Amino acid sequence: MNHDLSKEVNHSFDIEVNALSFSVQENRILNQVTAQFSAGQIHCILGQNGAGKSTLLKCLSKELNPSEGSVLWANYPLKTLSYAQLALQRAVLSQSTELSFSFTVEQLVRLGVEVRGHCEQTAEIIHSVLQVCDMQQLQNRDYLTLSGGEQKRAQLARVLAQIWPIESQESHAFIGKWLLLDEWTAGLDIKHQQQLGRFFKEWAGQGLGIIMVLHDISFAAQLADQCLILQSGKVYSQGHVLACLTQTSLREALEINARVEIDVINQRPFIYPVLESF
Amino acid sequence: MLLLTLLLVISMLLSLSFGGMTFSLSDLLSGLSPQQSLILWEIRLPRTLMAAIVGAGLAISGVALQALFRNPLAEPGLIGVSSSAAFGAVFVIVLGGVIWQDVSVWQMSLSAFLAAALSTALLYSIATRNGHTDVALMLLTGVAFNAIAGALTQLLITFSDDTQLRSVLFWMMGSFANLSWASVTMVLSMVLVSLIGLWRLVKPMNAFVLGENVCLQMGYEPKWFKWQVMGFSALMVGAAVSVVGVIGFVGLVVPHIMRLWVGSDHRLVLPLSALAGAILLVVSDLFARQILYPAELPIGLLMALLGGPFFLMLLLNKRRWI
Repeated sequence: MNHDLSKEVNHSFDIEVNALSFSVQENRILNQVTAQFSAGQIHCILGQNGAGKSTLLKCLSKELNPSEGSVLWANYPLKTLSYAQLALQRAVLSQSTELSFSFTVEQLVRLGVEVRGHCEQTAEIIHSVLQVCDMQQLQNRDYLTLSGGEQKRAQLARVLAQIWPIESQESHAFIGKWLLLDEWTAGLDIKHQQQLGRFFKEWAGQGLGIIMVLHDISFAAQLADQCLILQSGKVYSQGHVLACLTQTSLREALEINARVEIDVINQRPFIYPVLESF
Repeated sequence: MLLLTLLLVISMLLSLSFGGMTFSLSDLLSGLSPQQSLILWEIRLPRTLMAAIVGAGLAISGVALQALFRNPLAEPGLIGVSSSAAFGAVFVIVLGGVIWQDVSVWQMSLSAFLAAALSTALLYSIATRNGHTDVALMLLTGVAFNAIAGALTQLLITFSDDTQLRSVLFWMMGSFANLSWASVTMVLSMVLVSLIGLWRLVKPMNAFVLGENVCLQMGYEPKWFKWQVMGFSALMVGAAVSVVGVIGFVGLVVPHIMRLWVGSDHRLVLPLSALAGAILLVVSDLFARQILYPAELPIGLLMALLGGPFFLMLLLNKRRWI
C-alpha cells in the first residue's frame, strides 16, 4: 500500500469539521463535533446506535445543515458549494435506498455516470465499476429482483461511477475525490467486503478520501487509517487506528468486551469481540 | 418513438375521417366541399387535436407525479388533483359567471391550475415525510381530496341554474364535444410549456426516484425540483380539466405500459408517454363517438371503464408497491 505517497500530496482537499452541532427539536444529536478528515485516507466513524454517526455523515454530504458550527470542504465552506459542484467531488452511499421503479443494474449505474455531464468514456466507466463490484453477470437484471447484498453492490457501483477516474492507470487518479459510505458492509457477504476493502485501500493510495460509518470494529481495524469514535453526539476520540482502537476506548465509548492485540506484521490492532468478560 | 409517432398520425387521420359525415383519405387530400371543410376545420380538427394534447398532457403529468411521489400508483385522478382542478373550474363557472358574466377558458384554467397545484402541495406534505412517501396515506388522502372536492363541486352545482347544471355534469364526466380553437390554443400552450419544463428535469427525475437524498447526492437541488414538478403537472392537469373535464387513468395506464416497454429512464418514458397518451385519447374519443352514434359516450366514462380494472390488476399483481 502506498499511503505515504498520498500523505505527501498536499492537504488542500481535506475536510475540516469545526464545532459542529445538530439538533432536532430539543434533541442534540451532534454536540460540538470537531474533526479532521485528510484526503487519501480511510476514515472510519464508530459509535453506538444513536451516537450521531449517520447524522455527521449527512452533514458532510450537505444532506443536513448543521445548527451550529461549520464544515470546511477542501478549504471552501460547505455552505457555499452547490450540490452540482459537490456531486463532482464526492459520491455518497446511504444506509438504505428504496426504489419502486424497475431499472436494470446497467441503467442504474448509467445514472451515476450522467452526473458528470457529457462523458465519452461512459461505457468504460460502467464496465469498470461493474467489475469492481462484481456485478457484470447481473448487469441486465432488474434491480428489484436482486437480493439485498446484490442491491447494495449495484448502488455502490452507481455511486462509484459518479467519481470514477477516466484514466484509472494514473497513481493520482482519485485526487480530490471523496467517497462517503454509510454502513456499506450491511448485507454484504464477507467475500465482497474483503474484495471491496482491498479496492478502497488501493484507491486511497491514489488520493481518494473515504469516510465510512461501520459497526464491525474488527473490520474497521483492518481497513481504517484513522478512526473517529462518537459517544452520544460528542467526539470521544479521533486519531490513528492504533491509537484509537484500544481496549479502554472500546469498553468506555462502545461498551464492547473485546480482546485487542497488535498485529506486528501490518501494524494494526487485531480485535476479537468476546461475549464473556475477562 | 418513430413507431408511436406514426401511430399517432394514423389515429389522428382516422379521427378526422370518421364522424357524422365520413371523409375518405382522398377527400382530405383532393379538397373538400365548403360544408365538409367547415366540419373538418371547426369540429373535427379542434376535437382531434384536443384529444391528442390532453392525452399527452395527462400522461406526462402522471409520469411527473409518479416521480415526485416515487411511486407508480400516483395519478392525478386517483390522488384527487383532477377533482380539485375540476372544483376550481366549476368555481369559476358558477361564481365567476356572476361577477364577469362571461368566463374565458383562460380564467377557468387558471383557477383549475391553482386548485390542482394547491392540492398537490398539500397532498405531498401529508403523504411524504423525510422524502419517504407512505403509499397507503397517499391513496387515502386522495380519497379524502376526491370526496371533499366532489362535495364542494356538488354544492356549487346546487347554486347553478339549469343550463349551467347540464354542461357542468356532462363536463365532469369528460367530454370533447363543442371545443373552440381558443381552448385548443390555450391547452396546447400550457401542455407545451409544461412538456419543455419537465423535459429539462429528466435527469433529476431519474435521480429523485432513487430517493430524495440520492437526488441531492447526485447534484440536483431537490426542493427546486419538487416545486417545478408540482407546478408543471398542475398546469397540465388544470388546463386539461378546465376544458374537457376529469378524464382519469390516462396518467396511470400509459406510463405503466411505457415502463414495461422501455424501463424507467425518464428520458424515454416522458416523450413516449406523451405520444402514447395522445394516441390513447384520440382512439378512445373516436371509439366513444362512433360506438353509440348518434349518441356519444363520455370519454371520462370510457377511460374509467378501461382504467379501473387496470388499476385493480396493478394492485393485485404488484403488492410490493404498497
